[in-house]
Amino acid sequence: MRRVLAVGVAAALALTACGRDAGDSGETAEAVGAGKATGEVTVWAMGTEGEKLAEFAKGFTAENPDAKVTVTAVPWDSAQQKISSAIAARQTPDVSMIGTTLQGEFAKTGALDPTPAGLFAQDSFFPGAWDTTVVDGTSYGVPWYVETRGIYYRTDLAAKAGFPHGPKTWDDLSAMAAAMRSKAGAKWGISLQPGKTGSWQSILPFGWSNGAQIATADGYTFDTPQLAEALRYYQSFFTGKLAPTDLPQGALEPAFVRGEIGAFMSGPWHVGILNEQGGKDFASKYTVAPMPSKQSSTSFIGGSNIAVFKDANNRDAAWKFLAWLSKPDVQVRWYQTVADLPAVRSAWSDPALSGDPILQVFGEQLKSAKAPPAFPTWSQVAAAFDVQAEKVCVAGADPAAALKAVQNQASSIGTGS
Amino acid sequence: MTRAKLLLYAVLALGLLVVVGPFVWMLLSSFKPEAEIRAVPPTWWPHTWTLGNYRDLFSRLDFPQYFANSAIVAVLVTAGNLLFCSLLGYALAKLDFPGRKALFLAVLGMLMVPGMVTFVPQFVLISNMGLANSYAGLVLPFLAGPFGVFLMRQFLLSIPDDLIEAARVDGAGEWRIFWRVVLPLCKPALATLGILTFLASWNNFLWPLVVATTDDKYTLPVALALYSIGQNRAYYGLLLAGAVVVVVPVLIVFLALQRHFMRGIATTGLK
Amino acid sequence: MTAVLDRPAAATRGRATRARRRRAWIGWSFAAPFTLLFLVFALLPVLASLVMSLTDMRATDLRTPLAVNVVGFGNFTRLFSDELFLRSALNTIVFVAVGVPLTMVAALAAANALNSGLIRFRAVFRVGFYLPVVTSIVAIAVVWRFLLDPEAGLVNNLLGLIGVEGPAWLQNPGTSLGSIIVMAAWRNFGSLMVIFLAALQGIPAHLYEAATLDGAGRWQQLRRITMPLMRPALLFGAVITGIGYLQLFEEPLVMTQGGPLSSTLSVSYHIYNQFGFGNYGYAAAASYVLFVAIVALSVLQFRLLGSRDD
Repeated sequence: MRRVLAVGVAAALALTACGRDAGDSGETAEAVGAGKATGEVTVWAMGTEGEKLAEFAKGFTAENPDAKVTVTAVPWDSAQQKISSAIAARQTPDVSMIGTTLQGEFAKTGALDPTPAGLFAQDSFFPGAWDTTVVDGTSYGVPWYVETRGIYYRTDLAAKAGFPHGPKTWDDLSAMAAAMRSKAGAKWGISLQPGKTGSWQSILPFGWSNGAQIATADGYTFDTPQLAEALRYYQSFFTGKLAPTDLPQGALEPAFVRGEIGAFMSGPWHVGILNEQGGKDFASKYTVAPMPSKQSSTSFIGGSNIAVFKDANNRDAAWKFLAWLSKPDVQVRWYQTVADLPAVRSAWSDPALSGDPILQVFGEQLKSAKAPPAFPTWSQVAAAFDVQAEKVCVAGADPAAALKAVQNQASSIGTGS
Repeated sequence: MTRAKLLLYAVLALGLLVVVGPFVWMLLSSFKPEAEIRAVPPTWWPHTWTLGNYRDLFSRLDFPQYFANSAIVAVLVTAGNLLFCSLLGYALAKLDFPGRKALFLAVLGMLMVPGMVTFVPQFVLISNMGLANSYAGLVLPFLAGPFGVFLMRQFLLSIPDDLIEAARVDGAGEWRIFWRVVLPLCKPALATLGILTFLASWNNFLWPLVVATTDDKYTLPVALALYSIGQNRAYYGLLLAGAVVVVVPVLIVFLALQRHFMRGIATTGLK
Repeated sequence: MTAVLDRPAAATRGRATRARRRRAWIGWSFAAPFTLLFLVFALLPVLASLVMSLTDMRATDLRTPLAVNVVGFGNFTRLFSDELFLRSALNTIVFVAVGVPLTMVAALAAANALNSGLIRFRAVFRVGFYLPVVTSIVAIAVVWRFLLDPEAGLVNNLLGLIGVEGPAWLQNPGTSLGSIIVMAAWRNFGSLMVIFLAALQGIPAHLYEAATLDGAGRWQQLRRITMPLMRPALLFGAVITGIGYLQLFEEPLVMTQGGPLSSTLSVSYHIYNQFGFGNYGYAAAASYVLFVAIVALSVLQFRLLGSRDD
């Protein structure tokens, strides 16, 4: 035991001698060879993607007969823990799907391989999506699929409420939510996420639409009048009893189908859920409006990137697999397989997507949608934001004071770069 | 039957309903279609019976493989704990050697160390040994549990020294005494330790999640988590069916061994 | 022990040394397998994380773990000005202070009922009450989330039958921690019940018979005979449950994600989050604070419940 102690102390002393290097930013990538891919490519993917990708990747092996793609499905809830442990222990697969909001953190560990030049055309992707891959000026990986947020609303209730064409502005949204209750008989005018994990994805679009900037190159800037006004507006739905604060998971969709909730803010995946739960005629009873505008109509761009690890055993084939996933026709087929929206813009002109009015709303929104900064500390700052947002929505805290608190925490956490 | 007894039965039955009711509901609901599971008001007896949830569960992912992994890991961990903990428990209770007290204190102290303390260093260690994504990596960190040592030591303290002395006088070697005299006396304690270790291993989630890097090494709880709250939605029917599949095997193990288990608890001498 | 001391010293010193060596050799040969595993997989990681807690190590340093700054006790001082950590500490204290007694009382009541001369169906009740203990938390979470659903849930629908409108148990900051406490007691009382039942059955029946002859009532018998003889089992139960409950993690993880308004955020959950954010040094420091709390609680329980002569 004494020996082990001695080793521990020695390690501690060694640490004092080392200290942190001043990080140098900007990396250059090695090129990827020409020709077909060979060998096994191991891939981690979350949720439905993890389940369906193995079968889908047979299209890749058909084009590259000497290659093999092995996919492991990873639970969404634990993905961050799993990937960061794998990086710590150098046990990464060749390729992993990486949620856009975690990109900064993982890129900063130095575990991700910089995107090789010439393999991808940056301007073929949505600009907001490409930006999420860029950390300190270097791109790591490519956008795989995207999502954005809009306002789902019941067309029948909206017509009764006097908004047959949906809400266009902030004032419209407030008035429509109120009228859905008073005139259309809904129990709740709208459902907005009342703080808690991920609520920044619902709140920041209102801030961006109001001209707020949540970060500059130097750091976070939450304490601005634009964002405070947006948060106050967001809060008004809860203080006005237009939106519920205690909706359990899974209760939203049935209530929307029953007409108890007139509208809600969400992303494209809800189309499938609503059509499944509402039955076949329900599709005609609702539609999606773009984010209501103030100075602009600016939504959030999320989704997932897909990246190659530096420790990849088969780097060459891994990048070729990513290049294949980014082909417009493959992106369309992937949409048809799991309903993930293509990150490649030209895929959107395919009739599979262009024929769908709701998708067109999301597609239009994506052109200007914004993402949070790709700082390594973003997920931690976002969590702090969510905690304060919950106080604002549920407990009636003052929005400006809450944002000051977020800013204080964000400043002490730092950008991490 | 007296009135008091009747009352007692009534109270116990009510308690049983509160404790077991949720499991019955879980079992019944796993045979309902997705829409009925979420119905308001909830149904108790399924209106529509379906095996769809189970069919989905077994067709969507490789459940037999996860099941086998869970079983292999739990059996190895249990066997290891039974062996190593009874060896050390015997040494601490019946043998005299330098460092005994310090060793016991270290093991006892480890009982109080929260799992969060060791999690990351353990994983780095296992990976540096090249054991990530292997059964060895899933099993090794759990082979030497402090609780087992504590339990076996307490039990062995209650065994009279005379038995061991008598064997020694007869000229039996120390190992022979352990195998032939001591271990057979330990059956109840071993049953208790065995069940507790098996349960903990079977239900462990965080460690296999991180150590298994490909899904052919996933265990049942990890696979089940794939269907719990995903990014955007949960599959309730699959979750309920999965929950049943996870619970039933341990229930069978427990029912088969519960008599020995209870006797072990009674005789472990928790004093 | 005594044998060694009784030996006449001078004449047999050589033999005594040899005997001592032999005993050491035998003792350690039994202890070695466990000890080896224990050193490598328990003590080494504990020390590594102690070192980590004194540095500002983050996930981004993982590939160059030695290139971090030593911050001494900086992480520890920062902890005590961390609003969320303090909130999680408060939640955990409430959880332990209410949850441990609740679980023990439920277990005692069940054990007493099963021990009171009732013979039929005892095994059925015993197994039934033990069922939640053997069940994976993932499965329990699924069931309880349904039970506590404000509209579709069984609990509120039963309350509705008697005209009470139940709250949104897990979504309301006033009821969330209470729900978690009840759920934890429900999940864990079975294991204590088994221990208490064994202890009750170990009390010789003639003690009660004698007390009855002396005219002692049921309550007096409970106070004078049952409780004192149960004390070792009660102590053991309190310590084990206390250690477990201070590490509350799984229930809020699967039921509430620590919400609403951080009302169910526990210390372990906070640590888990900090690991997730990549703040390894900070998380390690917090886990050592938790360790100290566990030791302190165990010592306190020994003081309160332990007998003097142990």
